[in-house]
Amino acid sequence: MWHLLHVTIHLCYFAINIANALESHLISKGLLRRYKSLHISKLQYLAIVIESEDCRTSNVIELLQWLADLGVKHVCLYDMEGILKKSKDFILEKFDGATLFQENDVLLDQPLMTLEFASFSDGKEAVAKAANVLFMKYLKSGSTSSYQGEQIFTESQMGEALKTVGGNGPEPDLLLVYGPARCHLGFPAWRIRYTEIQHMGPLKSMKYGSLIKAIYKFTMVQQNYGK
Amino acid sequence: MPFSLHFSPTPLITAPSPLSKPFFLVPYYHTLYAPKSPPCSSTEHALTHQGKQEAFDRRPEDSQTLPLGLRRDAMPSHVAVIMDGNRRWARLRDLPVRSGYEAGVESLRKIVEICCKWGIKVLSVFAFSSDNWFRPKVEVEFLMSLFERGMQEDTGIFFRENIRISVIGDLTKLPKALQELMVNLEEATKNNTRFQLIVAVSYSGHYDVVQACQRLALKAKCGLIEPSDINVSLMEQELETNCTEFPHPDLLIRTSGEFRISNFMLWQLAYTELFFAQSLWPDFGEAEFLKALLAFQQRQRRYGV
Repeated sequence: MWHLLHVTIHLCYFAINIANALESHLISKGLLRRYKSLHISKLQYLAIVIESEDCRTSNVIELLQWLADLGVKHVCLYDMEGILKKSKDFILEKFDGATLFQENDVLLDQPLMTLEFASFSDGKEAVAKAANVLFMKYLKSGSTSSYQGEQIFTESQMGEALKTVGGNGPEPDLLLVYGPARCHLGFPAWRIRYTEIQHMGPLKSMKYGSLIKAIYKFTMVQQNYGK
Repeated sequence: MPFSLHFSPTPLITAPSPLSKPFFLVPYYHTLYAPKSPPCSSTEHALTHQGKQEAFDRRPEDSQTLPLGLRRDAMPSHVAVIMDGNRRWARLRDLPVRSGYEAGVESLRKIVEICCKWGIKVLSVFAFSSDNWFRPKVEVEFLMSLFERGMQEDTGIFFRENIRISVIGDLTKLPKALQELMVNLEEATKNNTRFQLIVAVSYSGHYDVVQACQRLALKAKCGLIEPSDINVSLMEQELETNCTEFPHPDLLIRTSGEFRISNFMLWQLAYTELFFAQSLWPDFGEAEFLKALLAFQQRQRRYGV
């Protein structure tokens, strides 16, 4: 009975995978009408999270090329260990169509894609550093408040402190996760309050059609931001 | 032992009350069926002293009720839920919005029951976010009264089922009566060990991080820590999820087909498996929960290492 159930479940997943692969193929060939025109302007900032173990620069460059072809202008590449950060010069050299994202860059339409590289140190560690910055300012202000219930810091002060330590970039509209686990692996948490998250599977199995589908799904979302 | 919520005019509170606060006597329209097996918290307390808490937590009837395919050794310790879709559920049925929220409460009760049965230790629910304060005033007032009513009605159940209640969020914005009820309930159930329900009210991930910074700043100011000591580990300890032994959810479920975290436990969810369910929260039941848990158990999780 157990084996029968196991086999049934495996067959179901197999069928689903075949269907997904077929759909992805049809999308990439432009045969499914609804995916033909993407409202790409809605995607102001895209984040890509990749499992450090799966970081192959050839795959990353191919992915960036697909994104450039689709018209995506601003991309943040993240992996926990900072392997992509270390390969940043190589990636920028091999991928002609991009420049390094500067913190004060405004998200305007520009001819070249901007690329940001992030790692764990830009997430939780940056917040801890920002906490230190806030505390030093608090000390200098000479505030006598010691009441735990009183608010001495605000969210916007934290945002400013993060900028000071280089840990605050734009909030991505969409975050694509390439890896076996469906989690964001410590991407700077401060920045993903309302970010749409899509799990794409392992990077080595990435498909152009799946990328289009993920972006299409994002463009169809209506958020009410809790209101 | 069946876990059920039944309501009738006869009050019957069997759990010992460490406080003399009047709210213990409040749920006068609620009744408890006498359980067949141990279960009041005084018995559980005795078992704890005898070092048999573990045996109690894995009662034979619990291990028998695990559905086929689910492995007890791979169950998540902490599940977090964003209970989305109550209003849409009501609109689809031409019902007032409040019906959606009430149906949502029933859904929550069922999921709590299932968690207890299947051995999940902690369930965190995003009941009311900081952004929700911008909803229509009538709706917000209804939600506050619903929280108050729900907590009062289920107090006896929490004691009978040995459930600990924790509340996280900026409670200063809540009506005073509700604040007091929540604080009292937390205090009264703090020694319950079978299961912990963390209710996030007036909460946001941003708020949690900022309040953690604030607590650290005050500690540093008082000389309890050095400013240079402030690091990731200390931040973690000051987040509001420090109320539990398992502060990082293993699995996050968001219902209603939306694929975002919406400012919930931003820091804590770094390695959390994300499961986005299509059904609306009032329709999210055992079958969907099982699907989420099976998906969780099948994932190859490296925790970023």
